[in-house]
Parts: sequence; C-alpha cells; structure tokens
Amino acid sequence: MPLSNQQKAVPVLDPITDGKAALQALIQRSSGKAVQLQSVAALSGGASSATYRVDAQIDGKPTPLIFQRTAGEGHDGLPRSIQAEVLQRAGQLGVPVPSVIATTSPADDLGDGVISTMVAGEALAPRWLRLPEYAAAREKLTAQCAEALAKLHAAPLSNWGDLPLKSGSGAELLEGMFTYYRDLGVDVPAYDLAFAWLKPRMPTSPATCLVHGDFRSGNFLVDESGLSAVLDWELTHLSVPAEDLGWLCAQAWRFGHWQKPVGGFGTREELLQAYGGSVSPQELHIWEVYGNLKWGMSCLQLAQDHVSGRVPSVERAAIGRRVSEVAADLTYLIAFGEL
Amino acid sequence: MSHPTAAQLIEAVQLFLKEAEGELTGRLAFHAKVAGNTLAIVNRELAQNPETTEAEALAPFGGVAAACEDLRNGRLDPSDKALLRAIRKGVLARCAVDNPRYASFTRLTEREIA
Repeated sequence: MPLSNQQKAVPVLDPITDGKAALQALIQRSSGKAVQLQSVAALSGGASSATYRVDAQIDGKPTPLIFQRTAGEGHDGLPRSIQAEVLQRAGQLGVPVPSVIATTSPADDLGDGVISTMVAGEALAPRWLRLPEYAAAREKLTAQCAEALAKLHAAPLSNWGDLPLKSGSGAELLEGMFTYYRDLGVDVPAYDLAFAWLKPRMPTSPATCLVHGDFRSGNFLVDESGLSAVLDWELTHLSVPAEDLGWLCAQAWRFGHWQKPVGGFGTREELLQAYGGSVSPQELHIWEVYGNLKWGMSCLQLAQDHVSGRVPSVERAAIGRRVSEVAADLTYLIAFGEL
Repeated sequence: MSHPTAAQLIEAVQLFLKEAEGELTGRLAFHAKVAGNTLAIVNRELAQNPETTEAEALAPFGGVAAACEDLRNGRLDPSDKALLRAIRKGVLARCAVDNPRYASFTRLTEREIA
C-alpha cells in the first residue's frame, strides 16, 4: 500500500509518439499476425498507471485494444507480467476480465505494461450508478459481483502457487497498516479507535484464497446487462474471501448512494446470499471496518505526498481532508454497528 | 472603507477560480474546482476552529495524543461510551469544516451515542 520512493522511473518510449512502432512490433510478435497500428490515445493517467486506447488492424480486422503500463515514481504493486498471469487464470475461472494480448519485455522499451482486448462498458462509476440506462444493470450487479468473487475465491491456493504473491492473515494485514499509520506520525482519534476495535477481531488464520484486492465500483466496466469486466488487478494477493466483500462495501465507492452499502448499488444481505452463505454478516462487518480504515490510510498517504513535497498537488492536499469523512464513517460503524 | 477580511480575500479568490474554471478544460479545470473547494474548507476552518473542539472533547482522556496513545497500548477500551461520545464530537467538528455535505456527517450528527 505505501508507495516506496526507492525506484526511479526509467525513461521509456511514449506510445503516442516515438513508441508507436515498438507497440506495433510487440502486438505482432505476440499475436503472430499482421498488425497495423491506426491510432493511440491517452485514456487516463492515474497515480500509478497510465492507460491508452490502441486502435489496430489485426489481419485486416479493426481491433480496439488497451495498453496499460505502470507510471510515475516509486511503485509497490505487482509487476504487470504477474498481473497478466493472474488475469488470465481469473478469466479461466469464469471471472469477466479482458483477454491479455501481450506483455512488454524490457527490450521493448515501453515500460512495464500489458496489452489487452478492449471490453465495452462504462468505467465511470458515478455515471453507471446514476444514469437510467444502467438501472437494469444495477439490479443485477450485486449477484454478478458475488458470483465473480465466489468463482475467484473457490480456486485452491495451488492454482496460484507458482506466482510471487503477498500472503498474510487479516491480523498481519492490520499490523502492516498500523505500522504505516505510525510511520506517518499523525494522531487521528477515530482511526486509533478503529485499529483498537479491529485488533482482537481480525482473523489470525492463514490465507485461503486469492483476492482481487481492489474489488470496488471504480474498477468495474458496466454495460446495460451489468458487470462486463473486472479491471485493475494490481493489488491482488492471498487472503480470505471477506476482504474483497468488505472492501466492496466501503463508503468511498458508493459515490453518494450511501443507502446501498454494496458499491452504491446493493444490500449486504443480497451480497452474502448470492455469494453462497459462507461469509457471515459479522465477518463482513469486521472487513468493512477494515476496508474503510484502509481507504483512510490512502487519504493520509495522498496528503502526505503533498505535505512531504514528493508530489505537490492541490488534489492530493484536498484528499487529505477526506480523512475526516472516513473518521465519521468509522465512528458510525463502530458506535452503531452498520453504515 | 475598511480593508477586506481574510474571509473576504478567500471569497475573492474563489470567485476568480470559478471564472478561471470556465476558461479551462480537463485536468486544469478539475484542479481549479478542487482549489475552490479547498478554499471553502479554509474559510470554514477560520470560522469554526475544529481543532479546539476536538481537543476539548478529548481533554477528559488527556487530550488527542494521549487518547490515541492509550487506544494503541490498550489502556482505553474502544467500546467505552464516554470515549465514543468524545471522539464523535471531535469528528463532527472536523467534518463540519472538511465536508459538511457528507452523508455520514449528517447521519452521525442526527444520532447520539446512548
């Protein structure tokens, strides 16, 4: 979770300008087909990754693709090649994901990136949570999310045994988060309340499955029939199922639709039932508190980027004040049992 | 004529940012909007001083830093009602400044800890 300052970005080719030929060669090499690149356009630049839409002719057929690569300095997420491997195996398990076309190698000079098929769907959660054309999709989404997670979590650990993935119990995850909080040296009473409340409640049993690690409304593609793809597998790791379910219920992904605890579109009861009944409401509650606290840590971290001078930014400074939103969420959750 | 107060200077910059936002696109327009919202926080903080409210609420527990430390070392129980009420008071003061339109702020305001 904390971004390390250790690695410096290596200058790489820009896929829009001088990197186009390298991108075309990479797709050609991986697909073994004749590839003609038509256009490359930047879609979004997050803090840790940059995404491009690539329009290519593959064997004469117009094919829209997505190129996503790690961006910025200091980065703690999984290498893209490992993410691509997890993505492919998740797809085989029946989780809706884009198909991987190619993974960059250092010689391509394109950074650490993956090219995948472009799945149709709306990526902006505030839009698909609000617009009437997605009303039917929202109705189905809770069950679809539960089903996708159930399929992912049902795979035995041996399915991922050859991949270098982080693994730990809930108690260890909390401990790591607490160490990070103390390293920042700030005192947020509601956060310490949540740490103290969670400490005796987090499971000490080892990981049982692979979790997506960032399963939330902002990482879905949604079309009129519901969930079309689960994106951004950068934080995937080995844990317990309730971690993904609780994170999906964190307040920050409801985008104002707070009456619908599951991502702004569903109820906890429906989620747990559609998941198959193996996660209890109490367990979900614990991981929901954990998820909200984890988002609080991200707010502190983004604020710290500005305050420390690492990434001076009005946006990050402002996110620092979202710390008190999370403090309100945590106080409510702990005092009244649900939010 | 008196010179403008700090709050009036902030409001002037907010007006300017609104105007600038209309001329900007993409990332810059978004940041102009964020900057305007940030100034609104500053203005509320000048008027309300939430840090003092939080400190006073947690004074019976030795103050903010001591309460946090005692939660860390287990001397304070996270289910202690008096503590929860004090934390709630501090949270409400801070949230009233940082985002008074936040749904959980309204809900927490309306619900007392018995």
